Amino acid sequence: MLENYFPVFVFILIGIAFGIAPIVIGLLVAPHRPDSEKLSPYECGFEAFEDARMKFDVRYYLIAIIFILFDLEVAFLLPWATIFKEIVQTESVKWFGFAEMLVFIAILVVGYVYAWAKGALDWE
Amino acid sequence: MTLAEMQFVLPNLSPASAEIFLLTMACVIMMVDLFVKEKTRALTFALTQITLVGTAAVTVLTSAGLLSIVIAVLLGPDASADLTPRIVEVFGIRTGEEITYTFSSMYVADLMGSVLKLTLYFTVFVVMLYSRSYVLDRPQMAKAEFYTLSLFATLGMMVMISANHFLTIYIGLELLSLSLYAMVALNRDSVTATEAAMKYFVLGALASGLLLYGMSMIYGATGTLEITGVAERLYMGQANKTILIFGLVFLVSGIAFKLGVVPFHMWIPDVYHGAPTAVTLFIASAPKLAAFAIVIRMLVNGLIVMAQDWQMMLIILSVLSMAIGNLAAIAQTNLKRMLAYSAISHMGFMLLGLVTGVVGGDARFALNAYSSSMFYVITYALTSVGTFGMILLLARAGFESDELDDFKGLNKRSPWFAAVMMMMMFSMAGVPFFVGFFAKFSVLQAVVAAGYLWLALAAVFFSLIGAFYYLRIVKLMYFDPPKDMTPIQAPFDMKLLMSANGLAVALLGIFPQALMSICAYSLLRSL
Amino acid sequence: MEFKTFVFYFLSAILVFASLRVVTSRNPVHAALYLVLAFFTASGVWMLLQAEFLAISLVLIYVGAVMVLFLFVVMMLDINIDRLREGFWSYLPLGSIIALLMVAEMALVLGGSYFDLFENAVPQTGIAESNVQAIGRLMFTEYVYPFELASVILLVGIVAAVALTQREKRKTKAVSPSRQVFVKAKDRVRVLQMPSEPRD
Repeated sequence: MLENYFPVFVFILIGIAFGIAPIVIGLLVAPHRPDSEKLSPYECGFEAFEDARMKFDVRYYLIAIIFILFDLEVAFLLPWATIFKEIVQTESVKWFGFAEMLVFIAILVVGYVYAWAKGALDWE
Repeated sequence: MTLAEMQFVLPNLSPASAEIFLLTMACVIMMVDLFVKEKTRALTFALTQITLVGTAAVTVLTSAGLLSIVIAVLLGPDASADLTPRIVEVFGIRTGEEITYTFSSMYVADLMGSVLKLTLYFTVFVVMLYSRSYVLDRPQMAKAEFYTLSLFATLGMMVMISANHFLTIYIGLELLSLSLYAMVALNRDSVTATEAAMKYFVLGALASGLLLYGMSMIYGATGTLEITGVAERLYMGQANKTILIFGLVFLVSGIAFKLGVVPFHMWIPDVYHGAPTAVTLFIASAPKLAAFAIVIRMLVNGLIVMAQDWQMMLIILSVLSMAIGNLAAIAQTNLKRMLAYSAISHMGFMLLGLVTGVVGGDARFALNAYSSSMFYVITYALTSVGTFGMILLLARAGFESDELDDFKGLNKRSPWFAAVMMMMMFSMAGVPFFVGFFAKFSVLQAVVAAGYLWLALAAVFFSLIGAFYYLRIVKLMYFDPPKDMTPIQAPFDMKLLMSANGLAVALLGIFPQALMSICAYSLLRSL
Repeated sequence: MEFKTFVFYFLSAILVFASLRVVTSRNPVHAALYLVLAFFTASGVWMLLQAEFLAISLVLIYVGAVMVLFLFVVMMLDINIDRLREGFWSYLPLGSIIALLMVAEMALVLGGSYFDLFENAVPQTGIAESNVQAIGRLMFTEYVYPFELASVILLVGIVAAVALTQREKRKTKAVSPSRQVFVKAKDRVRVLQMPSEPRD
């Protein structure tokens, strides 16, 4: 069972290596002669005006929360998708299994329409 | 095991038609409000009230037992005996089984649930009507969300009331709590409301965590989360006692948080005080009915075998609540805060009825004890709605009227509403021949019948302390000069309903028998 | 040493390291990023336990969405890092008590066989099939009622989030290109015919 995940594991390892290797090579090979001007932070060629950490607009938060809620919906869809074939093949729950997901999504579509009409999805 | 081998029976939707109707209507109201632009939300309000009435009709028409009770109350017992079978036939209501399970035994429809639900709709209906002018005066609150979230909260409470599965109880509770957190914070520009919402949310999440932890332990010990299943396995003695006790402790703590009894009461005063009064009115009335229902479902239906254990815990909670609630209420100058402490003491009193159900393994007193609690919680919801409604009645744009001093000399401003408020206060204090007196009396007689004389004496003692601060309001209204003489500017329908509410408190005090027997009868048919 | 054991220790080491860095790193943004790493490795550990659904939801929901929100919140709070560190020693006693409590809870769970916690443990299906399917089979048949209610809870979440954060549209002077291109000359310039007035 777990052996099925071996390709994934190898993939992750290679992915990590691919990300780390250029940095390491850069550190080893590139010339490294820092001075105070090179190391000072700047913003578009000017001195930095303020701290990088500043207040974000609350709208980012609203978008993120709506994203989480629909992400959770996906988490419910996943097991349904894996047994969808079985649902279709089983006579007794054929329509039931289809309809229940339809109801589930319909309820969330109400939320989607609500968020849209309230202007929660547009930026300005 | 594949789906075909699971022997799954398609659920019968008809017992849950009230929930389905309410949910559909709530979604429709949301959509209608989006596309009908109108400042006062008159249409949203009207649709909400129609939905509540419709849900009540659906509930009555799906329960033959409730139908006969409703007709008996409205037209008399003879008419009920005559009419009920005919209506049952017309609408094809299923009779026979008293208790119907559906959704793989996750949902239970019984008479206790139906009676509590009907009370719930009624309470929410009255709450919405009382809140109407308050909400209109405050632009931040005058949003459709106030109505839709109330409906979703109502749905959550309905789910709790007819839950037969720990998971369903939890989901109903979360639905209710999430809606309430948002409603408390709906007035975004008020610092106190935001703070109250924050406290409510953090403590509520903690309580839900405790409840879930308890449920998981019960699952670990019995191997099922279905309440009737848990009861069966406990009867057969197939569960580990240590784990069960651990689970029970967490379960009772979680319930105590939601009921708001000492030592889990910290959120009540802040939330009652900080929330907009219209939302306080909601929190202070309807959820108590649902909380009572889940106590019955979890502790009585599920864990009655462990009654000796949880009764001891509830005794501690109850005595502490009555003591601290009544004593702390004396020191308050804000009426909402005072009523919050009074709510703590009332919930403590309500629990008294639940601790005396099983005495030494003998469940003879159970029906009497639990029905006295049910009577208590229903009448408390009625009185609580009236008292907070009175604050809303006196409030106007820019003026909250929630300080004790705002009630000074109410008699000079409006003798009739001073009298209504006096009736509410007398009922809360338990002055004879108001409904609160009979509620306290029936609980006390259940306690004495079960042999806990000291408990009854303690309850009476703390109620006497409590009478002080209720009567202080009566004194303020009748013997102190008014601070301002602004006439009461509430709309006519609210004044009418307020008067009816006051009269109901008085009349139920004179004729408590009907409601008492409804409580007893519905529990008899459900347990 | 079996390969599986190696993977377990490898993941666990990263998990412990990342969790330590969550509480010790000076920069809250770094702490949040270490939390992402911790979630990710934890999902790997769950995968080893063959709890695929939990592993996937951890990545999908916690790494993918909740942590994004965390980062936003950390950034929105505009924390002064040095001031945040001030209370470290005064919080230490409380922190250690909570840590001890958690250790005790872990001991309870791990010593579950001693308390007979697992006497009704999850039955081993013994079939080599994914438990995502097993969960799906139960969720869409016996648990259909809580499943539908879950979507109502999500709906309430959307309503609450929008109602509590959505402000009235601000009056900005930003240009709207889509409306700009439709502008005609006569929208902007009005040619008036005025009779010349005689000089007095």
